[in-house]
Amino acid sequence: MNEVILMAHVLFGVGCLLTTLWVLVDTLNASPKNLARIHRLSKVAAACMWVAFAIGGYWYVVFYKVDKAIILKGPWPFAHQFFMETKEHLVILLLLLVTYLPIAAAGNLVANRDARRVVLVVATLIIGLALTAEGDGAIIAMGVKMGLLAR
Amino acid sequence: MSAHEVKSETAGLSKSTRSFGVALALASVVNGLLVVAKESSPAVQAGMQKLTGHHWITHSTIILGLFFLVGWGLGRINGGQGIRLTPGKLLSILVSGVVLGGLIIIGFYLVGD
Repeated sequence: MNEVILMAHVLFGVGCLLTTLWVLVDTLNASPKNLARIHRLSKVAAACMWVAFAIGGYWYVVFYKVDKAIILKGPWPFAHQFFMETKEHLVILLLLLVTYLPIAAAGNLVANRDARRVVLVVATLIIGLALTAEGDGAIIAMGVKMGLLAR
Repeated sequence: MSAHEVKSETAGLSKSTRSFGVALALASVVNGLLVVAKESSPAVQAGMQKLTGHHWITHSTIILGLFFLVGWGLGRINGGQGIRLTPGKLLSILVSGVVLGGLIIIGFYLVGD
């Protein structure tokens, strides 16, 4: 069950990343044809992130202490001390940005260049932070693996 | 700056985009500062732990609450027209806030912790 929760967290995180990338590309080519899709996908990205955040938060609060102990006793303590510590707070930043995305994308992006710019900047920040979070997650998982291998 | 210029500058973005954009920047910086506060002070960390059972839940709740509250509040000022600022200024505030908030977190765990 623990593993399923963790995989669902990653799945929805990647879902948010890919959906935001789609919003970015569609906004670069904004037209009356894809405007409704941009509005819809920006909401899907936010929904994915809220689910990923809730699942990840539940796992972190309930299960992470076991992994943390393994990491700290292993050869990669920095996987917790730096990567997990930064990740657990950077994802709050990510959640804020993704929550803001549908707000910024709500207007007529075809006619409004300023609104398009805001969406492009926010989507770029989301993609950068989401990739950072995915990378952090990989290092944390590797920290657990290294800890178990060292036993 | 004339009234016409103010109108044309703020007309580009909706009230919600401006208000919640500034709220996002503020919440990002407070998020970073709260990390420093709770990691530097065991009393702060214990207090946050006590509030919800876990410091991270309290932390997330404070930041999300701040975002929604400030965004809502800024949308009500100027007679319900919301905060006035140009699209360029909003983007500067937003990007600066997010980058600064991120750098506070990374910098703290890199050198301060």
